[in-house]
Amino acid sequence: MPGFQSKRCSESLTSLLLLIGPFLACWVFFWLMPLIGGVELAMEDSAQTVLNQSDDSRPGDLQNFKRILEDRKFIRSLENTSIFVGSSVFITLSLGFFLASVIRSLNTSIRPIFLFLLIVPSLALPGTLATLFYLFFHGKSGALNQFLIIPLGFEPINWMMDTDWILPCLIAQAVWRWTGLITLLIYCGLRTIPKWQFDVARIEGASPWTVIRTILYPGVRHLLLFGGIFLGVDGVASFSGAYNLLGGSGGVLDAGLLFVTYAYQVAFPGGGGRFDLPLASAMCVTVAMLTTFFGLFILKICKKRDAIL
Amino acid sequence: MSRFLPRLVLTLVVVITTYPFVWMGLSSFKSNREIYQPAQLLPEAFDPFAYHLLLSGEFIDFYGVLFRSIMLAGCQAFLACLITAGAGFALAKGRFRGKAMIGVAALIVILYPKQAMSLSLFEWMVSRGMNGNLYGFMLSGVASGLGVIFFTKVFQNIPDELIDLARVEGESLLRSFFGFLPLVKPALITYWILHFLLCWQEHLLPLLLLGSEQLTLPLALAKLSDSSYRIPEAVGLAAGVLSMVPIFFLFGYFFRRIRSALSEWVVS
Repeated sequence: MPGFQSKRCSESLTSLLLLIGPFLACWVFFWLMPLIGGVELAMEDSAQTVLNQSDDSRPGDLQNFKRILEDRKFIRSLENTSIFVGSSVFITLSLGFFLASVIRSLNTSIRPIFLFLLIVPSLALPGTLATLFYLFFHGKSGALNQFLIIPLGFEPINWMMDTDWILPCLIAQAVWRWTGLITLLIYCGLRTIPKWQFDVARIEGASPWTVIRTILYPGVRHLLLFGGIFLGVDGVASFSGAYNLLGGSGGVLDAGLLFVTYAYQVAFPGGGGRFDLPLASAMCVTVAMLTTFFGLFILKICKKRDAIL
Repeated sequence: MSRFLPRLVLTLVVVITTYPFVWMGLSSFKSNREIYQPAQLLPEAFDPFAYHLLLSGEFIDFYGVLFRSIMLAGCQAFLACLITAGAGFALAKGRFRGKAMIGVAALIVILYPKQAMSLSLFEWMVSRGMNGNLYGFMLSGVASGLGVIFFTKVFQNIPDELIDLARVEGESLLRSFFGFLPLVKPALITYWILHFLLCWQEHLLPLLLLGSEQLTLPLALAKLSDSSYRIPEAVGLAAGVLSMVPIFFLFGYFFRRIRSALSEWVVS
């Protein structure tokens, strides 16, 4: 019997290894090792790794982390990214919750049509959205000016050249892209709320606001948290939309400079710039670590980690 | 009245969301002059010159780019499904130490912004001689934290009694996993499509990890919209239309299964 038990034990160990091993191997090889390499790179001396060596370069270690704190353009990109993430997450979640609630009240046969139409922008490549934004919405004769600004009696806005409007345009593009998928997710959550809860609310004569506050919101609170974290992390890492819309730059006076775009500019500048990979790596490591800890902190506060895990 | 206003807002949002895509489809038949008049919906003539130019390979090898994107996204999504479903099954039904650690590892992969990892990954791939290697790029996105957490929840919905029964009958955990896969088919299809979509839309990683001869669709679209190439706008729009066809077909065909799988997932 002991031999049989040890055979079963080794069988289950082999099964576990075969089930988890591939994930762990890929995780170590394509995530953990590059991460460690990224931290090491961030501590290297820029002067020894850049292609065009400069005389004013200083020793390695934590120098690159100090340099990014003194880099005003980096600080600007962080400010822009924070506004971009905060605004796009808040608007997308609010709009998604509202739209999902309205779709839930529709006839079941037409709900999928509305849901599918809403997710169309999520299916498009961010580059397609940027091209559409530039050709359709932007410009004096663009849809935003023709159908919104001019009818309201205002002067046409040069959206992508006006420093006040570049960031709102990027936010609008992110909201346009993600609202449909978030609506679908929240709608799936709303569908699982038991019907009797709505019946009780109707019998009690509850107002729409009470229904939202006591039934709808608690029913999808964990999904809003999940959606918020997903959108937040995606927003911090946002690259393609801004890259296509602003041609790889940060726009006029860096008004639309996002963090990843700037890190890319530092690492791979066009023309005769210096390829400062250690500095760019220090930026990436710092922001990514902060984002991860912030995400873990939010999950801990909300005590919903078990609901997601 | 109380229902009318929200429904009007919903309809308006749907129109604002989708109208630009209708405009894009029709504008792919227009000249530059017509395209720069966004209020004009219909083209003066349905001239498919942009599709001819795009597919002729004058600017980019569009067939090659499309095939490469489909293969990369499809294979990566398939491998990610297999690997993360296995890990998810072990986390949901296995009894072993260190489960929480693997769960946290998966969670951290979600919370750590992927694009911020690109530079480190680029350096790592270069040091391993894997830069410009399609297989290397494909494997780099397989360890998906989202997949592990998704499948952990999915397999938690399977009653433990079924697993115990399989154990009593002498089935190993691995054989049980393959035995239970047909039960979670909608979840597998849903995750495959979601991962396909995320890989399909990836821009920075292919830009860094693949060579200039190995363009994927996001890179090709960026090239087509680059003003320095003086390519007619309709060509970029035609590429945008064609790039949506595969993913549109996948979502349209499996939309009901995606909704049912997501509903099961969110309730668990």
